[in-house]
Amino acid sequence: MHGSLPRLLTALVFALALGPALVAAQPMSPSARAYHLSQQPQRVVLAQDNLMVRRTELGLSEREGFIPVHAFTNSEGVAVVRLDHTFEGHRVLGSQAIAKVPLGGSIRASTSKVMAGVQVEGAPTLSPETASAIALRHLDSKGPLKGAPRVERVVFPAQFLGGIATTVDPETGKVSVDRKLTVHARLSAPYVWAYEVRTHLQNVHDGPKALTYYIDARTGNILRINDALEHQAVTPSTGTGKGYYNGNVSLPTSLMLDSTYALYDPTRGTLPNPDLQNYTPDASGWSATGLQAWYEQNDAQGTNTYQSFLFQGNAGNAWGDGLPFTAYGMEGGANGQTAGVDALYAMAWTWDFYKNVLNLDGMDGKGTSVYAQVGMTGSYFRNNAYWDPYSMALGLGTGTPTGYGSFTEFDVIAHEMTHGVTATTVKFVNSAGYEEAGLNEATSDFFAQMVKAYASGSAGNTGATVPSTGADWRIGAGVGHGTPLRYLDKPSKDQRSADGWYDGLLYMDGHFSAGVLNRALYFLAHGASATPGADDFSPYLPQGMKGIGNDKAARIWFKTVTEKLYSGNMGTVTCLEARDQAIQSALELYGESAGGFGLDSLVSHAVENAFGAVNVGLNYAESSRTQVRFADWRNHDWIQRNHFSDIGYGHKQYLPVGERVNPRITVLNNPNTAVTWTLGGPSLYNGASALKGGVINADGSWTTPYTLGWYAITATSKADPNQFAEGRAFLVNLDTDGDNEQDAVDLGPIAFSWYLTNGLNPAHSMFNAPWVDDADVAAFVDAMKATWWVK
Amino acid sequence: MRIRNLSQLLASTALLLGLACGGGSSSAPPAAAPAPAPARSLAYNDPTGVGWRLVKDPSSTSTRIVLNLVGPSGLKTRGVGLNLQAPLTVKFGAFGNGLPINDAGVYQLTTAGSTDPSEPLAITGGVKKGNLLSVGIYQKDRDQSAKDSGATLCQIAILFDPAAQLTVGTSLPLSVPKAKAIPEDIGAVTDDQWTLDKKMRMADISIAVGTLTAN
Repeated sequence: MHGSLPRLLTALVFALALGPALVAAQPMSPSARAYHLSQQPQRVVLAQDNLMVRRTELGLSEREGFIPVHAFTNSEGVAVVRLDHTFEGHRVLGSQAIAKVPLGGSIRASTSKVMAGVQVEGAPTLSPETASAIALRHLDSKGPLKGAPRVERVVFPAQFLGGIATTVDPETGKVSVDRKLTVHARLSAPYVWAYEVRTHLQNVHDGPKALTYYIDARTGNILRINDALEHQAVTPSTGTGKGYYNGNVSLPTSLMLDSTYALYDPTRGTLPNPDLQNYTPDASGWSATGLQAWYEQNDAQGTNTYQSFLFQGNAGNAWGDGLPFTAYGMEGGANGQTAGVDALYAMAWTWDFYKNVLNLDGMDGKGTSVYAQVGMTGSYFRNNAYWDPYSMALGLGTGTPTGYGSFTEFDVIAHEMTHGVTATTVKFVNSAGYEEAGLNEATSDFFAQMVKAYASGSAGNTGATVPSTGADWRIGAGVGHGTPLRYLDKPSKDQRSADGWYDGLLYMDGHFSAGVLNRALYFLAHGASATPGADDFSPYLPQGMKGIGNDKAARIWFKTVTEKLYSGNMGTVTCLEARDQAIQSALELYGESAGGFGLDSLVSHAVENAFGAVNVGLNYAESSRTQVRFADWRNHDWIQRNHFSDIGYGHKQYLPVGERVNPRITVLNNPNTAVTWTLGGPSLYNGASALKGGVINADGSWTTPYTLGWYAITATSKADPNQFAEGRAFLVNLDTDGDNEQDAVDLGPIAFSWYLTNGLNPAHSMFNAPWVDDADVAAFVDAMKATWWVK
Repeated sequence: MRIRNLSQLLASTALLLGLACGGGSSSAPPAAAPAPAPARSLAYNDPTGVGWRLVKDPSSTSTRIVLNLVGPSGLKTRGVGLNLQAPLTVKFGAFGNGLPINDAGVYQLTTAGSTDPSEPLAITGGVKKGNLLSVGIYQKDRDQSAKDSGATLCQIAILFDPAAQLTVGTSLPLSVPKAKAIPEDIGAVTDDQWTLDKKMRMADISIAVGTLTAN
């Protein structure tokens, strides 16, 4: 016993000296894993010390520091520690370092997202209670809060200000500024004190909401709003006993103190669930620690009563009837238990996959318990599934009798639980308007496939590798009664998702822009065909490629999202950055020696090809590729800097209504820069809010319509029709003086409206908004420049 | 072959006819009017009067006429915009800011207390179809005081266009179909809604232009 540790250390040091290519991807022995885990607390301290010493080098002052917020030990035995950057002890939003502390090795820290030069003047003048009141006033809830808002003082960088949002009235088609979603504050300094206020609703009137507000601590202005709920439009499942989706399965349950059984697995999870621990344990022996399946109680008409119960009181430990759910009002009975069976079965497999294959203890790496609520009804819940990061819980809808099936399918549950991994590590934002929204959903889709493959393997729930079979590369096929909600091999088979990247992908809802990464990871694991017309053929990689298998693909992508990328819910991660980091992950895991894949012998080159096949970066050895870009012509101007976080300002241009204009576009890497313009774009088929109108003239110019608002336009390269870009033009009515002419004289009413009070000057706003500010001035000048600039 | 013969015949006939008509006279035919000389520059004569007017700036060259917009002395304003119609045979020039309008520094374009160098400024301009120059320069902050208009408020530039093949003496008519200024009391709030509404409108102004000629 005493000798085992030195021998283990020797072996590990030797293995590390040989380089990661030979050993890094090999499963770690249980004893080695236990040793590394025991060292994790010390390594967290080392990581913090290392970064504190480097403050000057990083451009930080004595008033700044780092606090560890997340740590886990990866499958190579390296502690991966995320440390938030602080200023006077308060978190700087979007600023984080990721340190890796190996055994006996030098600490490596990724600091590219650490903001230098942070200065915050003054002190908050508002109390946390006032900030909370401001957030709640804006939230305007119709029903009770799920809990008191959590308030934290933070440093808010001006670049994360929210911006303009418009909505379309479905009945009238009228476009208006959505004041609820619009954050229109100006900041006088690059960094200000703010309060982060987390609000949480879950009731029949409001549905599930988890909005996080950022309130200026001196002015009370709302600086930004994030929606923290991770929704999904698909959810199927089956359970132990008799599941609807999984058939007859065995489930991890508990024999309770009252000699009955519950869908409660006390063996998975070491920390209590943050939501369940608010409940008072009864005499049954239940606690808030462990995987659990709960149900929502409905009435006989299927209306949610918003009362939740654990599936328990089962005398024989036999659960479910394997039939579709119909027993509204009796969710705790055999028919209702079926969903609980499916849920708990999939939860246990997902938990084991992360623990045994990727060395992650629970979704958050801390062993925090997770529970599912099945039988969700109501318009917000019925045809949906979501991950609630604050509750560490899944909400799973019942589906509808004539529509979707129960949202308790295996891959849907694995998908949602994976949101728990990304929500505590990379923290992808989940809103349309950011490329990373697609990365977020695809990460969940992909690992859902990996869990599916893991569960299909012969190694059972203790295996440490992912078989290369067992994934069907579909999400929610059972929920859709045979028609999957999403396909990973060719995402566009759903008629909505993207098969490849294009400039403007960010306008799609994340579930559909997910197609890009979904397909890349499918190609990486499974390979791509060289047969045109095949589902797995890509015009960007016509020669095809050989896949590297599920296990390697899973490890590469897990390493990328948990060790390489960081967003902090600020939307800064792009597909290209994800690709670059995945290549780095492949190099670190498999080095230069492993081979036999794709067109080249290196795993990293397979990653290049997989991403190149979805038009993200170049294929291995490819020298150039045509690109169509709505170029970032703003060059860090006022709008871009102050509305950086707003949806894709880099892609947007302001143009006047009712004029013949030439939208700006850039074609790169091809001498033939001609494009074909079309009205609309792919995102319009995926719920994006934008209009389509006007006429494309024979000379390629666009005669814009007379209705203001955001319009989608698409430019396709004539030289390479596989390359296109979708952009947004905001059509503004420059005729502010009402003489039916749009000219520079019209800038006058905007100028003199500057500080008039609301209600005096709405007609002068470029956005028909009841205020006028720098955004109007900038939009006017931009539209003038784009249309009538002096030649 | 037949064509060549016909040509020779016609040439001979012409020669004979020429001899017949020219007999006895030795005076030269009347001199044709000299062809107009091609223009190489522009000339601008200032308008008269002391109201709103476009006057030539001393920095002008023979091919780039810089015009200063000057208003009536004593009249305080917060900004001005105008449309200037010119023939298609001249061009409008840009200044160092890339705009066809140059700020003369009278109007305070930034918000009081602003420290943001990229703050959007209410100055813009462009050339619309038909060679209509449209420019505007405005103070956007009411907290900035109105300025005396009796000075150069902004500049525009008209360029000689060699491609237009103008001839010396060609008149190049200029006109200002629209011009408006922000008066000093813009936005002043009273209890009278009608008065308020009136004060929220820009004031029409008339800008005198001189004569532009190709030289």
